[in-house]
Amino acid sequence: MNSFLQQILQLFTGKEKASVPFKILFADFKKSLELNNQILDLIADANDKLSGEYIFDEQYIKLTCHQLTDLVRELIVIINHLTKQSYSELFTSFHRIEEEIAVILQGEIFAPGTEFVLPYGAVSRNLVDAVGEKNANIAEIGSLLNFRIPDGFAITTAAFKAFWEANNLDKKVPEIKRRWRSNEITLEEAADLIQKAILHAQLPKAIEHEILGAATAVMETHKAISPCFAVRSSALGEDGKASFAGQYHSCLGVPLEGVPSAYKEVVASLYTPEVMIYRQNMDYRAEEIIMAVACQLMVPAKASGVMYSYDPLRPETETMLINSAWGLGEPVVSGKTATDHFVIQRQSPHEVREMQIVRKDQSLILQGCGALNNKSVREEQRTEPSLKKQQLLALAEMGIQLEKHFKKPQDVEFTIGHDEQIVILQSRQLHLQLKRPPRACDLTDISSKYPILMRGSGVAAMEGVASGPVWIMRQDKSLRDFPMGAILVARYASPQLARVIHKASGFIADVGSTTGHLATVAREFRVPALFNVENATSILQNGQEITLDTECLTIYKGIVQELHYYNLHEESFEEMYEYRLLRRVLKKIEPLNLIDPNEENFVPKECKTYHDLTRFIHEKAVETIIDLSFYHAHHRDTHAGKLIWDCPLDLMLIDVGGGIDGEHKKGIPAEQISSIPMRELLRGMSWPGIWDMTPVNVDFNSFMSSLTRTPQTRQTSPENVGRNLAVISDEYVNINFRLGYHFTVIDAYVSDRMLDNHIYFRFSGGVTETSRRARRTRLLAKILSHYDFLCELHGDIVVARLKRMDKKRMLRRLFLLGVLVGFTRQLDVKMINDAKIEEYFKQIKEIMEKSNDN
Amino acid sequence: MTTEQTSILILDDEPIVSKRLKPSLERKGYEVESFTHSADALQRVQEKGFDIVVTDLKMEGVDGMQFLTRVKELRPQTEVIVITGFATMATAKESFNKGVFDFLAKPFKLGEIAEVIEKAEAKIKSAQR
Repeated sequence: MNSFLQQILQLFTGKEKASVPFKILFADFKKSLELNNQILDLIADANDKLSGEYIFDEQYIKLTCHQLTDLVRELIVIINHLTKQSYSELFTSFHRIEEEIAVILQGEIFAPGTEFVLPYGAVSRNLVDAVGEKNANIAEIGSLLNFRIPDGFAITTAAFKAFWEANNLDKKVPEIKRRWRSNEITLEEAADLIQKAILHAQLPKAIEHEILGAATAVMETHKAISPCFAVRSSALGEDGKASFAGQYHSCLGVPLEGVPSAYKEVVASLYTPEVMIYRQNMDYRAEEIIMAVACQLMVPAKASGVMYSYDPLRPETETMLINSAWGLGEPVVSGKTATDHFVIQRQSPHEVREMQIVRKDQSLILQGCGALNNKSVREEQRTEPSLKKQQLLALAEMGIQLEKHFKKPQDVEFTIGHDEQIVILQSRQLHLQLKRPPRACDLTDISSKYPILMRGSGVAAMEGVASGPVWIMRQDKSLRDFPMGAILVARYASPQLARVIHKASGFIADVGSTTGHLATVAREFRVPALFNVENATSILQNGQEITLDTECLTIYKGIVQELHYYNLHEESFEEMYEYRLLRRVLKKIEPLNLIDPNEENFVPKECKTYHDLTRFIHEKAVETIIDLSFYHAHHRDTHAGKLIWDCPLDLMLIDVGGGIDGEHKKGIPAEQISSIPMRELLRGMSWPGIWDMTPVNVDFNSFMSSLTRTPQTRQTSPENVGRNLAVISDEYVNINFRLGYHFTVIDAYVSDRMLDNHIYFRFSGGVTETSRRARRTRLLAKILSHYDFLCELHGDIVVARLKRMDKKRMLRRLFLLGVLVGFTRQLDVKMINDAKIEEYFKQIKEIMEKSNDN
Repeated sequence: MTTEQTSILILDDEPIVSKRLKPSLERKGYEVESFTHSADALQRVQEKGFDIVVTDLKMEGVDGMQFLTRVKELRPQTEVIVITGFATMATAKESFNKGVFDFLAKPFKLGEIAEVIEKAEAKIKSAQR
């Protein structure tokens, strides 16, 4: 690629010094495109690592971040060079993001810019590092599963950090820990010292103010006259890999004004001797010891209890356990009281297998705020079951849904309000105590025990095991009817399927890429996904029970219990430190917030991720080159002007040497183009046969104009020119078409020197994607591969490369690209079914054969 | 087919490598032992001969190159597969000179290493015949 650049540069050497040498600007532009592509590919590859298919280590994460940082920095330098430092603000955003990434790489859980307090309505899984597992889970149970939850708010890790630093605890605590580790003091002494330091510390005024404000807001929403709050821990990783269940302190019946000091009490429980030793055993890193806190309005409880979605000691019985008693749940959770005990079948309709009703003389209730009292239970209620049958069934159903949602057996705390409604207080992973823990080596022979429906086909977009009934997506079906816990089987891994991600246990698609949107979402929600299986939609049947094992690329008929238990028991790879780290850094890299250049947020200071910076710069680079070409139109080395052609293609041509014959003041007629690769592309675009294929009556002119034309009256003003640009020389072409939100980029050098020849083609499909777009991507890949291109699919981006072919063959392929460019946009409309892929493939081959005769 | 299981030793100082690789290989029917300290692994290979050894190169203490050299000395028929995040031509060359079966650059896919291991296993089996 550099050789032709050098040739272009050579063309200008020795000539008159240009005021702004276009050759340098163009070299910058070229470089910016290269960097842009490198960055996007690196990001896509990094996300792909989350699928579980790769073995990677911390070193890889650091290396990738450093590479990205270097590339983005270089890109910012280049756009500023290109635009005479117009976008130096980009450095501010860049340094902020770079710093955030550096902090995350050091292992710190960083929640920059987060509020000290977040109401549950504003909490989502994305904020788990800010609000902790418990808050994220409970908010999600409310918003995604639509279960009743106690209203409340999260006191974030940002508040924790501010509290910690304001009181020098970030220095005091490690020092006490050091003394413990070097045996100067005992564990108990160390715990006591740290807890006292925390309890005596001053909560910064701003935090206290926000906490009281949020609590007041909750109180007002619920018109609670004397509200009581439950203040509980919501530490990071608490409900995940390392369950510190019951080890942290909770404050119940806290009056509004008592919340700030309850906060400190809960935080102090990070340093009980039990937790300190547990954490040491679990190999937790010091930076990960950070706590968010949940503050919830207490629900007046008629009855409360705990549900296990599996019997942890005897999971093979396929039953769920529920223990409950009258009043608040604390005595049930802590095992301080006798409880009613129910054993319920896991499988719907959830038959009650066992029911042991105990005598319940006392119940814990809230008598005004701050007063938790044991009260005598009315005589007639003492031997009555604390849960009604319908409530048991409803709870069982909820338990299964929670388990599907969180992918592991669940330990659920609930309360029944005085209105008999079930409120979920929390849900966390339940660890099964299997008599003989399942081992990986026991799984070697399952393939001989269970019928295999498919094996060895497809790629894992997310590794894991899922079992459930098949639900095949068809055109006449609505995703609204998708049942909880089913496995979604579809022809295409279309992003719209992400809508049922919270219900699906697994995804299978005939066609789909591991770097596409749905794959990303599947990884975020940890739903096993197998794509590119080719014929899953025809082999699998609606309603059929299957077990999907994406690591082994296998689909079994029926439920494979061994795999199921193994999966329930094993530590998920997603919970490993490296995966947590990669997910954290990717949040600063991957999300794209700047989408539409016409939106107000399309400015440097709104760039929040490396992707945002890259997107912004690409847009500005193309814009700048087009604008510059107006000012340099009269420069003797470069001719620039708009293409005059039969088709109103709004294309700015910039000739950097030998690409255009003669001088032209008012536009450049197509016949005068002497750039060989450009001519071939135009020939392809205007090939008569293409447009006749269209069953829809779209003539070429109106079609092209809808894509590319800008109003005639404004054409003289550089700002209003269309964003279609071709930089050409006699043997070179670089085209940037902007079609809607995305770009087609073609970069080609074709000469008699075979080794220097190359074609690069990049096509991206747009923001609103449907299965038709997926078909288009597939068609493009099929055609391009057929004509020897090396194709890569990154989501709906097609990248095709070709190198070192002789001139004649290179030109044939440029003609093909011309045909495809003219053709692809309307394909969205026409790709109504899979048969169209073959049909158009055939037609394009015919065009290629026909045009070859000419 | 022999009833004897193919034995594999994995050595990598990053625990995630063994954590991911061990169950995956066990599911395929291999007998797997994994280590994060090269000294422990070195002791183990002196006690027991493994069919296949998978090792990282850059580690604290005894590094991967020394380790694999020792493995080959103790039991030349052991097939060694090198996995490393710092792949250079020089290290690759040196490992091959020492009779390494294959060389994988991290990150790699579970499927990729499984394939290499299958090939190594096939080589061992054909040598036994």
